Amino acid sequence: MVGERQHPLLSTLLRLPFYLLAVSVMIPYYWMATNAFKTIPEIVRNPPTWWVHTFTLDNFFNPDAVPGAPKNSAEFLGVFQIFANSGFGQFYLNSVVITLITVVGSLLLASLVAYVLVKRPFPGSGALFALLLGSMMIPWEVTIIPNFLTVRDLGWINSYQALILPGLAKAFAVFFFRQAILGIPDDLVDAARIDGAGELRIWWSVVLPLLRPALAAIAIPVMLGEWNNYLWPLLVVNDDAHQTLPLALGKLAGNLTYDPRGAGPMMAASFLVSLPMVTVFLLFQRQFVQGLSSGATKG
Amino acid sequence: MTNHVPASLQGAAPTTPYRRAHPVRRFLAQHAPALGLTLPFLILFALFTIWPVLRSLYLSFTDYDAISTPTLVGTGNYRALLSDPRFVKALTNTAAYMVGTSLLSTALGLLLALVFGGQRLSDQIMRACFFLPSVAGGVGLISVFKWLFSSEDFGLINTLRQWLSLDPVRFLGAPAYAVPILIALGVWGLMGYNMILFVAGLRSIPGDIYEAAAIDGANPRQRFWKITLPLLRPTLLFVLVTSMIGAFQEFFSFYFLFSDTSNVGGILDSGLSLVVYLYDLGFRHLQMGMASALAWILFLMLFALTLLNLKLGRINDID
Repeated sequence: MVGERQHPLLSTLLRLPFYLLAVSVMIPYYWMATNAFKTIPEIVRNPPTWWVHTFTLDNFFNPDAVPGAPKNSAEFLGVFQIFANSGFGQFYLNSVVITLITVVGSLLLASLVAYVLVKRPFPGSGALFALLLGSMMIPWEVTIIPNFLTVRDLGWINSYQALILPGLAKAFAVFFFRQAILGIPDDLVDAARIDGAGELRIWWSVVLPLLRPALAAIAIPVMLGEWNNYLWPLLVVNDDAHQTLPLALGKLAGNLTYDPRGAGPMMAASFLVSLPMVTVFLLFQRQFVQGLSSGATKG
Repeated sequence: MTNHVPASLQGAAPTTPYRRAHPVRRFLAQHAPALGLTLPFLILFALFTIWPVLRSLYLSFTDYDAISTPTLVGTGNYRALLSDPRFVKALTNTAAYMVGTSLLSTALGLLLALVFGGQRLSDQIMRACFFLPSVAGGVGLISVFKWLFSSEDFGLINTLRQWLSLDPVRFLGAPAYAVPILIALGVWGLMGYNMILFVAGLRSIPGDIYEAAAIDGANPRQRFWKITLPLLRPTLLFVLVTSMIGAFQEFFSFYFLFSDTSNVGGILDSGLSLVVYLYDLGFRHLQMGMASALAWILFLMLFALTLLNLKLGRINDID
């Protein structure tokens, strides 16, 4: 739109390099989506094949492979067979549950604080807000070592609370919700209070519904951050039951260094890990764009 | 007339019976329900944000192996780091990565926003293509990149080089390629995100300014340099600084491409970043004090970046 009006000189010819750039941006996705369904001999073939010649689901689940068989056997395990005990399905469930709880929990907790700060200020609430604002300057590297020690001292290593609780109180979400709640008229809140609604009720029935766009805007970065979180689970989890997808991918990629034929299950795993985010993005593209750019345009 | 108004409504607050209540009790009666709502957040915030900041600062002045009691060493950790060649190498790598990634992703983001900022279906599809890595990049795709850059003959990049009659390159095994490859990955993941921010910024520029300029005979080039760019400066600054801050803290791609079970940083530490080194010090060598000092050095550098941003922003306001 704007670019168009300003730059009629950018003809299709000038756009051509950008189309090429778009193609190269998409290549990793194409490569992942096709290689996940190629046979292992085809994946390691030289030169690489540009499309799937022999379609197979063996990279996901290979019915002919024997778990525990020697590495040099002809049959390779699918990604659902590699992690024998609790398995890839368990990691998937862990990632989904942890991401969901973190998104919902952090949104609810932060919006409660923001509501109280704006509509029910108390002596010291200004100082509290300043503290929250200041804490946004602190990078996560500063807190990660003490937090690991805290989790260890609480005996939380290999537990869901270690994966979820430390990341639940998000100051930037409070800041964002505060901006949104400032726009809600006091009369609305006071009317509900006169009607006898308690604080919890007002927050749930009056404030939260009005916050919907802000909730969506914060949910997206929180969800992406949690789904891709690698370092924290790596530190606090070392058993199979609490593994998340990024950790499983890390292990697969590590195996790859030793045996390139591990690429089949790895591509399948990458495909399965990316699929939910691609689907969510395609379904909620508008919300993604608005959510991610709303923080920037205000500044 | 005022005599008819009941005494309780005459605005004489000190006459209300509540005055005599104990201040603490009165405070609680007034604020307890609201304060209760903030309690879950505040407990977690205190435990996992405030307390660790203080503890990390303390630990950075100690020698601590995560098991025995920390022993104070003064500024020893900081001095040791500043003369540690690995730290210097990590800092140079991170700085090069930060400069390359932030400049390229900002410039490309702006170009893409100018080219594909329109409302046509084709523009929207192109924007979705460029934006996808910001949403579904990261963990899922990094191992695909590892495969694409593979030095074996099935590595796609090397196949393309063969077509151009170039010799295959061991991308992940040659120190000179480490930072450029990481920058390529960083730009791949970030430029679409920056593009979206620039599209929003471009749309907030009022159209009639362009119309007025066009009437005055300004050509498109002049309109870009004299109108678009100056008015886009806040967005430009925001994008550049957030890109820099993000790149400075990069862990994942460095770790995933250049670390294995026995070693981090790759060959000659060519793929060592500050945060990877922090992980190596703190969690592999259990030098928690040293790692905490590194975290605080990193924090100070990020703080300087933010101050620079504020300062540039102020210059921008004066203009």
